[in-house]
Amino acid sequence: MSRPTVTIHGADGAAGSESHPLPNVFKAPIRPDIVQAVHTGMAKNKRQPYAVSEKAGHQTSAESWGTGRAVARIPRVSGGGTHRAGQAAFGNMCRSGRMFAPTKVWRKWQQKVNLGQKRFATASAIAASSSAALLLARGHHVNTIPEVPLVVSSTAFADGAIKKTSQAVKILEAVGAGPELEKVKNSRKLRAGKGKLRNRRHQQRRGPLVVYEPEKDGKDFTKAFRNIPGVETCTVYALNLLQLAPGGHLGRFVIWTSSAFQALDTIYGSTTTPSELKRDFLLPSNVMAQPDLAALINSSEVQSVLRPVKGGAITKRSVVQKKNPLKNKQVLLRLNPYAAAYAKEGLGHVKAEGDKPEKGEGYTKLLHEN
Amino acid sequence: MSTQADNLSPDLIWQVVRKNNAYLVKRAQSGGIQFSRDPLNLLNKHSRKYAGFVNPKAIGIQADDNTVSMTTKNASHTNHPAKQHHNASFSSTTPSRKLYRSVVNSTAKKGYRSDLRAEAVARASAIKYSQKEKKERAGAKPRGVKARKAEESS
Repeated sequence: MSRPTVTIHGADGAAGSESHPLPNVFKAPIRPDIVQAVHTGMAKNKRQPYAVSEKAGHQTSAESWGTGRAVARIPRVSGGGTHRAGQAAFGNMCRSGRMFAPTKVWRKWQQKVNLGQKRFATASAIAASSSAALLLARGHHVNTIPEVPLVVSSTAFADGAIKKTSQAVKILEAVGAGPELEKVKNSRKLRAGKGKLRNRRHQQRRGPLVVYEPEKDGKDFTKAFRNIPGVETCTVYALNLLQLAPGGHLGRFVIWTSSAFQALDTIYGSTTTPSELKRDFLLPSNVMAQPDLAALINSSEVQSVLRPVKGGAITKRSVVQKKNPLKNKQVLLRLNPYAAAYAKEGLGHVKAEGDKPEKGEGYTKLLHEN
Repeated sequence: MSTQADNLSPDLIWQVVRKNNAYLVKRAQSGGIQFSRDPLNLLNKHSRKYAGFVNPKAIGIQADDNTVSMTTKNASHTNHPAKQHHNASFSSTTPSRKLYRSVVNSTAKKGYRSDLRAEAVARASAIKYSQKEKKERAGAKPRGVKARKAEESS
C-alpha cells in the first residue's frame, strides 16, 4: 500500500504543490491507556516539595498529668496564669496541636517512567494528533484548518521570516487557526481556589502546538510566538507528552513546519527500521491490522463463512405482546373462525323469535313460592 | 471511511472519546444522564450512532436565526476539516413539508445515513415549530357579576 501524502501549505494557508509522505510515526497504535498512565507519571516530575514546619504544634512544654487526676492522659500545657495552662497539646485531635502524620519534604515526589513507555506514549500521541475527530473531541476549534496533520512550509519560518508576534498571528490565522486562537483568548478565567495565591492565577485552554526543526527553521521565530495565548512551540527532537496530550487526553492540535515533519521519519524510524536518534527504538506495531469493525464484519472473508440467516424475512416471532381477541379482530378470528360468519350474518343482534311468554297467575305464584 | 492510516477508525475513535470529550455533558441527576453538544448530533444524545464528529457521515440540523440549516459531512475528506462540511440553508418561508422532503431527498434517499431519516425530519420539524410565531391567547370572557359591571360601564 502506498503511503498517503500530506500537502505542505504555504504561509498564506494555500495548499502548495509540494507534499510529503505521511511519516510512519502517524501509524503508531492509539493507546489512551498508555498515554494516560505515562502522563500521570510524568506530570509528577515537576512538583516542588512542600511540608508543614517541623516544629508546628510542638512549641510548648506540655507533659501528661498521668493517671489519677480524672482527666485524659494527653500531654497538658504546664504552668498557670493563662487559659492555655492545663489545655491538652501535641495530639492531632487537640486545638493548636500538630497535624496527623505531618507532611515531610522527603516524600517521594518524582516518579520514574520507563523510557520505552514514554516513547510509546509520545508516538501514540503524535499519531492521535492526525485525527480531526480526536482534535475536535479534545475541544480544539479545527473546522477551518485545511488538513490534519497540518504542515506549513518551512520557508514561512526560516531565516528570520517571522520576527514579530503580529506576523506570527497572521500566519496562524492564514492556516485556519484563527477560531482556535479566539477560543483560547476567550477562555481565560480566574482560577477557583487557593491556586490564585500560588502563582497560578488564571486558567486558559491550550491552543496549537507549533513543532519546528531548530537547525533549519532557526529558533528566533519562537520569540514571535511565545506571547500568543495558548500557543506553544517545541522542537521536533524534544517532543513532550505533556504538550502532545495535555491532561492525558489524546488529540492536541499540532502545526508542523515542513522540515520538522520531514525529520519525523529519521527520529522515530518505522516498525522495521530502527530510529536513527533513539537507541534501540522501533515504532510499536498495531495489534489489529484492521481497526475498522464495520469493515471487518462486512468483509467478504467474514461474510463468506457465516451461515445463512434462518427463516429470512418471515421468522416467527416468539415473544410478542399478547393481543386482546375482544378488541383485535384478526386475533379473534384465529381463535374462533366462526366469528366471521357470526358477524356477517349479524347474529349478534337478531330479535328473538316470537313474543315473551305471557305472565299468568301461575307466574307470580311460582315467583313467590318459598 | 477513508482513514489515512491503518491505526484509526471511527470505532476506535469512539472507544477513545466515549468516556470523555469536549461535547459531552454529564449530569449527576436523572441517573447520570449524558448529552452531547455536537452540532452534528440530531438528538443531542451521547451515543455511537448519533456522534457526528466520530462518524465519517453525519447530518446536523440547526436553527439559524430564522432559518433552518443542514450540515452534512463529506466522508472522503475526513482529514480536511475545512472541506469536510457541506452546508445547506432553508429560508424561513420554506413550507415544512417541503423542508422535510429536501432533508430526506438530500440524505436518506441517496443512501446517506438512511438510519437517521426519522431523526432528521423530527429535528427539522421541532426547529420549524420553535420558529413559529406563537398565537396570543384570547383573554377570558367576563362572566356573572364582572360581565354585568363591564356592560354597565360601557
